[in-house]
Amino acid sequence: MKSYSNQRRFALIFRYVLLAILAVLWIFPIIWIILASFSYNNTGFVSTIWPEKFTWQNYVGILTSSQYPFVNWVLNTLFVAVISATLSTFVTIAVAYVLSRLRFRFRKPFLQIALVLGMFPGFMSMIALYYILKALNMLNLGGLILVYVGGAGLGFYIAKGFFDTMPRAIDEAAEIDGANKWQVFVHIGLPLSKPMIVYTALTSFMAPWVDFIFSGIILSTSGNPKTYTVAYGLYNMVHSAKGTMAQFFTQFIAGCVIIAIPITILFIVMQKFYVNGITAGADKG
Amino acid sequence: MFKKKHATSAVTLKETWKDGDAVTKLTFFIMGLNALRHRQWLKGFSLLFAEIIFLIWFFLSGIHSIAGLSNLGAIKSKRVVFDKAQGVYITQQPDNSVLILLFGILALFIVAGFIYLYIVNLRSNKHTFLLEKRHEHIPTNHEEIASLFDQRLHATLMTIPIVLIILFTVLPTVFMISMAFTNYDRQHSVGFSWTGFQAFGNVLSGDLAGTFFPVLGWTLIWAVAATATTFFFGVLLALLIESKGIKHKNVWRTIFIIVYAVPQFVSLLMMAQFLDYQGPLNTLLMNWGWISHPIHFIDNQASPLIARITVIVVNMWIGIPVSMLTSTAIIQNLPQDQIEAARIDGASPVQIFNHITFPQILFVMSPALIQQFIGNINNFNVIYLLTGGAPMNNNYNGAGSTDLLVTWLYNLTFGQEQRYNASAVLGILIFIISATFSLIAYRHTNAYKEG
Amino acid sequence: MKLWKKLALGSVVALSAISLTACGKSSNSNESKSSDKQLTLWVDTARVSWYKGVVKDFEKEHPNIKVKVTQNPNGSANAKTDVGKDPSKAADVFSVPNDQLGQMADSGYINPLSPSDTKAIKNNSVSEAYKGAEWKGKLYAYPYAEQAQTVYYDKSKLSPEDVKSWKTLTSKGVVATDFTNVYVMWPVMFSAGTKLFGNNGEDVKGSTFDSQNGVNAMKWYAEQKNNKGVMQTSNALNQLKKGNAQAILDGPWNAANIKKILGKNLGVAPYPTIEVGGKTAQMEAFLGVECFAVNSHTSNAKNAAILAKYLTNKENQLIVHKNTGEVPVNIAAQNTAAVKNDPVAKAVLQMTQPGYSVLQPKLPQMSIFWNDAAPLVSGAYDGKIKPSQYKSKLAKLQKNISKKE
Repeated sequence: MKSYSNQRRFALIFRYVLLAILAVLWIFPIIWIILASFSYNNTGFVSTIWPEKFTWQNYVGILTSSQYPFVNWVLNTLFVAVISATLSTFVTIAVAYVLSRLRFRFRKPFLQIALVLGMFPGFMSMIALYYILKALNMLNLGGLILVYVGGAGLGFYIAKGFFDTMPRAIDEAAEIDGANKWQVFVHIGLPLSKPMIVYTALTSFMAPWVDFIFSGIILSTSGNPKTYTVAYGLYNMVHSAKGTMAQFFTQFIAGCVIIAIPITILFIVMQKFYVNGITAGADKG
Repeated sequence: MFKKKHATSAVTLKETWKDGDAVTKLTFFIMGLNALRHRQWLKGFSLLFAEIIFLIWFFLSGIHSIAGLSNLGAIKSKRVVFDKAQGVYITQQPDNSVLILLFGILALFIVAGFIYLYIVNLRSNKHTFLLEKRHEHIPTNHEEIASLFDQRLHATLMTIPIVLIILFTVLPTVFMISMAFTNYDRQHSVGFSWTGFQAFGNVLSGDLAGTFFPVLGWTLIWAVAATATTFFFGVLLALLIESKGIKHKNVWRTIFIIVYAVPQFVSLLMMAQFLDYQGPLNTLLMNWGWISHPIHFIDNQASPLIARITVIVVNMWIGIPVSMLTSTAIIQNLPQDQIEAARIDGASPVQIFNHITFPQILFVMSPALIQQFIGNINNFNVIYLLTGGAPMNNNYNGAGSTDLLVTWLYNLTFGQEQRYNASAVLGILIFIISATFSLIAYRHTNAYKEG
Repeated sequence: MKLWKKLALGSVVALSAISLTACGKSSNSNESKSSDKQLTLWVDTARVSWYKGVVKDFEKEHPNIKVKVTQNPNGSANAKTDVGKDPSKAADVFSVPNDQLGQMADSGYINPLSPSDTKAIKNNSVSEAYKGAEWKGKLYAYPYAEQAQTVYYDKSKLSPEDVKSWKTLTSKGVVATDFTNVYVMWPVMFSAGTKLFGNNGEDVKGSTFDSQNGVNAMKWYAEQKNNKGVMQTSNALNQLKKGNAQAILDGPWNAANIKKILGKNLGVAPYPTIEVGGKTAQMEAFLGVECFAVNSHTSNAKNAAILAKYLTNKENQLIVHKNTGEVPVNIAAQNTAAVKNDPVAKAVLQMTQPGYSVLQPKLPQMSIFWNDAAPLVSGAYDGKIKPSQYKSKLAKLQKNISKKE
């Protein structure tokens, strides 16, 4: 009996050690990134783990630079993120609800078309999107929002899986009580899908913070850094001309760390909803 | 729904035309007239305005837009002339084929939409005629509107999403497919023409074929390896964290999730420096005496094999946390009775994992796995930000040893060569590959029977 | 009668129609731009701030022209793709290196300069600047600076004599450079005696590197792998700073960054001589000419030309030199004390002489060249291409870039 418990204790210790090693491996590069954001460096390349010289200047520099208006970028991105999250969530939830709970002739074809559309790589459509937005005179943050929301109608899979798992009996009971389908949607469907709404909103909220390619294609035309979003602005900062990499690299890292912090926190908050959503979708298959 | 269809088919369009009164007949030309007569204001006016707007648009610019599709603009080359009045040269530009193609396709969409509306109008007319004939109740305007929030709620909720999808996904996709059949490239960047399957020929048997097939091969290997490694180790990690006796499970999970939460254009760009020949990792390994020479992980001197392995490993760093999170949720919901029974029968943990836990997770996750596989075929960020395709490959045309089809496509479009038509072809081929694989996979998993 | 669903689609038609008319309007508006509208000017991000001052002076001289300065979206090095993406939205006047002028002229993005401006530039500028902006017998842009790579070295470790030949340079110190960068490494081909697109860089059939001379250059690349004094790196500046390297090959655009690292030990010299094919030859570089070009889609070609001309006059070339260290091309400007006393400028000027550098060819085929030559040089260096393959690989590249377009 004793050897058995010893063995178990040993196994537990082994698992703890394994987990600790893995955790260190995973987190180590992230810590290095944070360290690098404090390092004094003017060569565009960080070659040591521990900075040779610590400085706050990178953070001061990125927050006060007139050439690269970081604060504007953050505000722009916040603007895009809030509006696009609100609209996208509505679109995604509505589409998912309709496809899951209502039956109509277009349902099957729509699901199939959505599946097919998702398999084309996105880059080629960017040229077309550019000209469509130009025609609408929306080569700006508004156009960016429009495109993000435009894609929301196809991102319904997880939410649909969630609605699929809700028992139908609830709807039917409500309808027998005389509620119409809209009332069922608003008073029963939406309240029950709160975790899904939070999840969808957070995902679409985070998208603009990390998109540096599409936002670049739409926003770069203005040539005015004040109109950029933070992802494109930062990316552009070190890629826009010869020599800027050396000059601005550590400021770039500092800027990245600043925006990574809130996103990380949001993501950690979102974990629970993410897990709920995914399982709901996966259960159904 | 079935009943209604049956009811309307009791009368044909021909009979509606023959037996209908003047207003019914006129509705064949002026949309929504019959609805207006029955005071279905919303429907009537919507149809009527749609027709008016359509006709005005069609004759003012629609015809012109559609006609342009035939040759994508008549003037194909520029002309440089000297403007004496200003004393400068001026270029008379060729017709802009991109715009002609794009708005030609849009015009076709609009015409198709209108034809559809017209059919709707005819059906409505027929139905109303039938109701009149049978002296049944014709829905009032109010009833029609109310149905929008009940039997037809799907229409109400889907309209805006569908408009957005058509404008921002379908239209660009059709535009892209059309581009594959033109000579839109660096030499024909403004005025281009239809060239049939020529661009397909270039990719499949012409100057790009020597790059396409090897890159395709690596793309598939990558997609399989990336999906399998992240999934398998993600499940193991989840099991480790979920196993009995481990405390503060949430904290452990969060540590791993942080990696995924950091935006990729930061984490991957920095990772590229971390792994550089003169970067911190090599310095560290040298200092510890683990290696005597620095290793070329992902730079241009690296061997393709090492670079490809490195890319897959870095992808594990980013991908395992997500897959850990998903499997955690599934593990928590796994039925415990089977596992308990197996344990009582004396099965070892490894046996339980092999025969019960893993198959169950695999079963539940298979649709998600297929989607991840498709996602990995199109995984732009990891390659573009980490290696940029390096190491270079002197047998390839415009791609490096770690380039995937999708990053090569990006290079062809936005890089030096600007071969838009070739990248459109690539886009179509990527689609065909993805579609084939997911079709086969879905057939085998049976998990996708009900859309 | 599932009418309402379809009715909904009615609004699709309406919406699309509105959008279509909107496009019609906006595509017209390009032509109807009134001529008094302000001009836009693209310069590299780092220069926006002081170009604002230049433009202010310009507006004082030309009160009827208003100018807005913004950045080249992806830097002047990518002007071709930035303008090409949508010429009607690009700036009226933009900064561009000369090697892109051929493609841009052929695509109709830029116009030839007026005869009078052409004449003025011919008279006032050094000849390589004129040649740099010339395409098919006409001048297509206003040159304002020239640049070629030079050797930057640590004076406390190497003497001016040491950097005169590659042999002493790499035996007494370590030079950090990048063999994956064709811009830096290809010119060794010129030292070996080969031509890229003929003597003037405009002859599609004029390349001669598919030859023994070309193979010799490939051998030179391969030899450097075993040369302890040559360091392959993607971050030469960092190696210089850490003291792992004592010299780097770089351009004037990085001069300020290098100065921060070396301080008063900064030494600048023309490229050394190298031994290639058994002979001693001057190591060559690509010569680039920075220009301002006028967008052919501009609403006011005349005012745009006035602006471009002003930006490239003697005074403003000197301002560019003061701010960036780039070397003026205006003959009078080159003779001012400010330029003459600048060691970087002195080395660059030496490099611009014939025999030291070759103008970057402007043929559109260069875009194929840049793509395909890089793996070739890099492959020869790291041994991925075997000596037995040199000839066939060179032949393949030469064939690919010699196709008429």
